[in-house]
Amino acid sequence: MLALVLLATACGMIPPEPHTKEAKEVFWLYNVVLVMGAIVFVGVEGFIVYSVIRYRRRDDRLPTQVHGNNLVEMIWTAIPTVIVLILFVLSTLTLNSISQAATHPGVTIEVEGKQWSWVFHYLDEDGDPSNDVIVQGTALDGANMALPVGEPVKLILISHDVIHSFYVPAFLVKRDVVPLPEGKAPNELEFTVSEPGTYSGQCAEFCGDLHARMTFTVQAMSRADFDKWIAAIRAGETPAPSVPAGGGVVKVSAKNTAFDTKALEAAAGQPFKIEFTNDDSFDHNVGIWKGSEEVFRGEIFSGPATKTYDVSGLEAGEYTFVCDVHPAMNGTLTVK
Amino acid sequence: MSVEAPVMHATDERLPISHREAGMPTPLVGMLLFIASEVMFFGGLFASYFNARAVHIGVWGPPTGAPELEILPIALPITIILVASSFTMQFGVWAIRRGDQRAMRNWTLLTLVLGVTFLIGQIYDYTQLGFGISDGAFGTVFYTLTGFHGAHVFGGAVGLTILAARASQGQFSRQNHVAVEAISFYWHFVDVVWIALFSTLYFLR
Amino acid sequence: MATTALTPTSEGYRRSWVIEWLTTVDHKKIGILYIVNSFAFFFAAGILALLVRSELAVPGLQFLDERTYNQAFTMHGTIMIFLFVVPVLSGFANYIVPLQLGAPDMAFPRINALSFWFLPLGGLLIFSGYLFGGAAAEGWTLYTPLSGGAYSTGVGTDLWLIGLLLVGTASILGSVNFIATIFKMRAPGMTLFRMPILVWTVLVTATLILLATPVLAAGMIALFIDRNYGGSFFDPNTGGNPILWQHLFWFFGHPEVYIVILPAMGVVSEILPVFTRRPLFGYRAFVFATIAIGLLSFSVWAHHMFTTGQVFLPFFSFMTALIAIPTGVKMFNWLATLWRGSIVFATPMLFALGFLSMFLIGGISGVMLSAPPVDFHLQDTYFVVAHLHYVFFGGSVFGVFAATYYWFPKMTGRRLNEPLGKVHFWMHFIGFNVAFFPQHILGIQGMPRRVADYSPDAGWTLLNLVSTAGAFLIAASVIPFLVNVVATFINGERVGDDPWEGNTLEWATSSPPPPYNFDKLPPIRSERPVFDLRHKHDAEHAGVEPSGPEGGHA
Repeated sequence: MLALVLLATACGMIPPEPHTKEAKEVFWLYNVVLVMGAIVFVGVEGFIVYSVIRYRRRDDRLPTQVHGNNLVEMIWTAIPTVIVLILFVLSTLTLNSISQAATHPGVTIEVEGKQWSWVFHYLDEDGDPSNDVIVQGTALDGANMALPVGEPVKLILISHDVIHSFYVPAFLVKRDVVPLPEGKAPNELEFTVSEPGTYSGQCAEFCGDLHARMTFTVQAMSRADFDKWIAAIRAGETPAPSVPAGGGVVKVSAKNTAFDTKALEAAAGQPFKIEFTNDDSFDHNVGIWKGSEEVFRGEIFSGPATKTYDVSGLEAGEYTFVCDVHPAMNGTLTVK
Repeated sequence: MSVEAPVMHATDERLPISHREAGMPTPLVGMLLFIASEVMFFGGLFASYFNARAVHIGVWGPPTGAPELEILPIALPITIILVASSFTMQFGVWAIRRGDQRAMRNWTLLTLVLGVTFLIGQIYDYTQLGFGISDGAFGTVFYTLTGFHGAHVFGGAVGLTILAARASQGQFSRQNHVAVEAISFYWHFVDVVWIALFSTLYFLR
Repeated sequence: MATTALTPTSEGYRRSWVIEWLTTVDHKKIGILYIVNSFAFFFAAGILALLVRSELAVPGLQFLDERTYNQAFTMHGTIMIFLFVVPVLSGFANYIVPLQLGAPDMAFPRINALSFWFLPLGGLLIFSGYLFGGAAAEGWTLYTPLSGGAYSTGVGTDLWLIGLLLVGTASILGSVNFIATIFKMRAPGMTLFRMPILVWTVLVTATLILLATPVLAAGMIALFIDRNYGGSFFDPNTGGNPILWQHLFWFFGHPEVYIVILPAMGVVSEILPVFTRRPLFGYRAFVFATIAIGLLSFSVWAHHMFTTGQVFLPFFSFMTALIAIPTGVKMFNWLATLWRGSIVFATPMLFALGFLSMFLIGGISGVMLSAPPVDFHLQDTYFVVAHLHYVFFGGSVFGVFAATYYWFPKMTGRRLNEPLGKVHFWMHFIGFNVAFFPQHILGIQGMPRRVADYSPDAGWTLLNLVSTAGAFLIAASVIPFLVNVVATFINGERVGDDPWEGNTLEWATSSPPPPYNFDKLPPIRSERPVFDLRHKHDAEHAGVEPSGPEGGHA
């Protein structure tokens, strides 16, 4: 029974199966460190348990009064020093190995962390930003990062608000996404995914109200499939038109975590404005969803304040408008 | 003229050695420890200054539109005044160690006047600088560092006032004046911090 | 042995007990005020913990919204660290250190009182955020830019900063007091190397507080300026650096964790010798190890920042690995004290043994985190939460309860009930491990910390449920403890000067001691003056030479 408990625990004490080249090295180092720790634990705890049983008070005699022993002190200072130095050397070697930057990454992605979603901006070298693949996540629906298997991936981590952290447990790595001042280069993270699959990720630096919802996925596939994915997004993507001034103004306000209306209307095919008044002292916004896809996301801000959003033209139909911070706040936007 | 102490201090020579406090008087130990914590406080502020300086791009100094920091006509003179006040403070300490309470009081009052002059000069300088605490990283660290230093000078000035008042009441003597020693330590500390601050802001840049 | 009766107060001196306790400058009363105040905050922060664990037991938000949850864990951490564990140990130190030194009081009794009263004031300010739009909600580490004015509106964070500035000032003044007392007020014969180990750990702790807390104060003032006066310390949009906050915070924050653990180690070092009837093995080595830990603690702060990509990893990894060595030396010295001892399992000893085992686990998980590649996986996950609870709770809080059971008789003249104490210990020990061991696994499997909720598909549900069950068992364990305290005050077993056959000077006076502490001190010729006195008596009766106190070899 005890053995089973220990075994079960042991399984839990090993990290998830590592799926990048670097993660496999970290996995090895982790296991070495765990075994060292387990040996120390069993040894020391065993000694404690043994001593308290063996040396229970049985009579009133005073035990031998030993005040110290310099030799013993030196031994049990020297041995931990050696162990700790071995650990440090192994750790540094692993660190150097996993920190190697590739000269030609297979793909470079600018990862933006923002409250409370991720944006993956695939950088290509063609100098034309209008055909770049950009994947935007929301707090309800994490962004998906497609990657080619077996090639070095370089992530450039930027933030324009607070500190986040890009963490994929299956890759045994995270790196903070820090809004640094202009003089400092952003953090970068490199790895090479070793097996195809879909791996979950999550923000790992507390970043405010919806930190727990700031999820994403990484989907590793063959280079051929990856190229197809990129091409498909490029083909389907319509360049964002500049929104001309004018058009109708839709007004909506939020107070006590509720919109003041459950029904809004806008004209189809033309850009329009949403004048949104936030009467609460905490964050709200207006987002527009068609099914499970967010077609517009207004800036989140806390009140009391009013902001005007510019929305590009929508096709006729029924949409849902929602507060992305408090999804229970929603209503129907009829576009006709 | 030495005045008989109304109360015997623990270090008094008239006490038999077995009943006498050995070594540095306890209040002085306390003041030194407190000063150590203050050193770390200013250390944190200085670290912020150097960090801000290391991450900025462009020239490090007052924001565009404001003049460069100059040691004249204000910064250097008030530095000289504050350094002089350390001397006057020490003359006061030496006076009471001789038992001359009147001289000690006068030197203390002079130190107070010099210290207050420093503060007035500092405040006047603030009005001439042309930038504020909310004008970027330089403005923030400049005002925070000099402002907290000024607050410490003010605290020292309060201490000096109390010393002068107590001296006027005849409370100190050759044997019994540990408060004077303690406040003098604090005052010298405040001066040393200023020297470091002045050098950093106006020379190291 | 000197046995003193409480001297009756003279007629003209008597005053109402309310005024007495509000204006006292007696270190013993102030110590008790610290302890009682700290336990009150302990229960408040414990309730916050139960809120957190209840919400996390199963996926989905059951009864808290995100912001309330975020306030709960922020306040839980803040209160536990700053208003419970540091002050309660400070309270025990306040009561016991002057007694162990043979001194009549602390060096600066009025500053001692001031230091105490800042605590409930600071604590109330921190909590008052709840009354003014929401308490601070950025984690107890308050990272910028999240804690800056743009992302944390409302006054909760400002109240937190001001409250903590008060608490920090109190700590610094207290540490001045302790250091001056220890250097200047030892009884004749008590050289530095005859001081009890608790006094040494308090000395090093006070030095850490003295030197580290002001840096936090500087950082908090800087944040206050950023939030309220348009400052640019931490705002990257106006030339500031968010990482600067982390440097300032952790330069304080790492010594802070040693501030939390060293006095508890001192308590354990007092208790083990008494309940094994052996001297502490390797007294000098222990002192040097404590000093080494104190010094090294200033050089490791950035191991909390490995994943920021902004620190020089090899240096901090190396120094962090090094600090394991003196810690290990201490552990081995404790083990050697147990070896061939004559061990009795009174409740203080149970908590001390529990400390050894739990701190061992916490120390091992800490060493695991010291390797940056491993830290890249485990930082900001529940593994860190498990680690910090094993050292703070399994370490310091076990030490606090050990101290409570050990010195309660000295402070009140009555001993806490033993069977109830054992029930408390076992419920506490089991509850603690059930609550926190699974959190190691959750972290290793990738569950981040500071999350109000988690996905039902992640496979984390069962362990979260188990952890919550453990938390409630810990809460339940408080009941036998409180019942014990109340019942003992009403009708507990009365004791004399030295109910445990202690070694150090606090056992050479009445329980509780008179206001001036000692009528008469025994001769001080070793670190165990009361032990020596007792065995001189025994030796005189039995015609046997007692063993010499210094330089003995096995």
